[in-house]
Amino acid sequence: MEVDREDGRSQNQLRPLACSRNILHRAHGSASWSQGDTKVLAAVYGPKAGTKKNENPEKACIEVIWKPKTGQIGKPEKEYEMILERTLESICILTVNPNTTTSIIVQVVNDDGALLPSAINAACMALVDAGIPMKHLAVAICCCLAKSGYVILDPTKLEEQKMKAFAYLVFPNSVRSVLPEGSLRVEGEPIENGIITSVTHGIMSVADYFYCLERGRAASVKLSDFLRRNLQQQSTDSSKAG
Amino acid sequence: MEGRLANSWRLTVNDKNFIKTALLSEIRIDGRKPFEFRKISIKFGREDGSSEVQLGQTRVMGMVTAQLVQPYRDRPKEGILSIFTEFSPMADPSFEPGRPGELAVELGRIVDRGLRESRAVDTESLCILAGKFVWAIRIDLHILDNGGNLVDAANIAALAALLTFRRPECSLGGEDGQEVIVHPPEIREPLPLTVHHLPIAISFGFFSNESILVIDPTHNEEAVMGGRMTTTVNANGDICAIQKSGGEGVPRRVIMQCLQLATSKAASITKQIKDAVEVFNTERALRKIKRHPTSTGNDVREKQN
Repeated sequence: MEVDREDGRSQNQLRPLACSRNILHRAHGSASWSQGDTKVLAAVYGPKAGTKKNENPEKACIEVIWKPKTGQIGKPEKEYEMILERTLESICILTVNPNTTTSIIVQVVNDDGALLPSAINAACMALVDAGIPMKHLAVAICCCLAKSGYVILDPTKLEEQKMKAFAYLVFPNSVRSVLPEGSLRVEGEPIENGIITSVTHGIMSVADYFYCLERGRAASVKLSDFLRRNLQQQSTDSSKAG
Repeated sequence: MEGRLANSWRLTVNDKNFIKTALLSEIRIDGRKPFEFRKISIKFGREDGSSEVQLGQTRVMGMVTAQLVQPYRDRPKEGILSIFTEFSPMADPSFEPGRPGELAVELGRIVDRGLRESRAVDTESLCILAGKFVWAIRIDLHILDNGGNLVDAANIAALAALLTFRRPECSLGGEDGQEVIVHPPEIREPLPLTVHHLPIAISFGFFSNESILVIDPTHNEEAVMGGRMTTTVNANGDICAIQKSGGEGVPRRVIMQCLQLATSKAASITKQIKDAVEVFNTERALRKIKRHPTSTGNDVREKQN
């Protein structure tokens, strides 16, 4: 089915991605991620001594602070903070630095659709920049379901508002490993078929949801490649001066 | 966790002495001369009214938004200008999220005084219907990276954002002319704000030995200096505000020297801001012409997944 999107993209086409690391000087790690016009800045400080109250001191703790572009911090921002926290807790190796807190601060620079996935991607890159130990990276994508039943990826803000339902999906990144094939499987399936986080808004049928998952997983392979190229490039030509 | 000694940053005694000794020979630790400003780079976002300013290692983002509200009772014909400063925890490990601390409030007040009381922004043109509807302009300043001298960078960010902001055009309508119709930007071109002059804040740091004076202190110099003064001047040579809150006393001639230096720096910074805004405006005009995407080869049915 041919779909007409306003900016001329096809159904499964992502917006142009741009990412840069190590942009802030005081933060231990920082990254800026933009998908089309949506731009998010993430900074990482950590690990700091001590955990928050009532947190398990045998593990590291992750704290996320979400800063919107303008206005007060309200319930939607708190929800984003919680989703980010739980997603990042599942990818970081928490037993390496027990009784510490790593803070991740996310600043929204511009919101043009798919804000939460951009924030998750930016936070991941910032964690890599800071050198926080992680099991694997997370790639996030937004899939929308329109009233007529077709699925589009990476919507702009206008498209998001017109859609019947949309889902933010976070997958582990695709693995390229020197270890033999069998060791990176979880219950017989390759690790990148798993799903870390899924947040849906609106009504969608089960079949549509699985279709979204499939499209999202395919797109996450492209995102993983982009991440890998970006990280490799920057690690060869960067020189940190103190 | 808050207030743990391990988490607070302190400059060592060796570092402090090094900075002070170097200043005696007029050398600063980043290689500048005492009266040299760091490199300023002004960038704009996609939207109108969003700016990002980098002053050396300091980075500040400014956002301007507008809303129609009821005016204050004692000023029914004037618009409202409000400034919100956010010392984001990403700028410095010691910044806590939540309510703004003293530094944030002081910075907000200095920028506010420079803009409001010198009447840099024309608030009377923001009035649509006297007593009922005026535009309230809200400036959000987000401090992203603390490399020292946040006031100057924040001021430049606020000015750059104000110069590129466009408010929607509105007209009076309804049966008795008491309704305000706001036209969306696609129908009618939004209007820029009227800014009469640009008040530029220039900060100075005073050091105790032999009353040494530096302009635009960095983060490390701020930890060592004995006093600071911020002067807000514009390119015409008018003094809009001076802020010297406590710190060590300085003789009169030093204050006069500061004011003269500030006036000369203000001229060059004003020019830089205006040039950057020019470039943004030309780009914006070009973007408007290319609004409809030209039909590229959409016939290529490759599955992009």
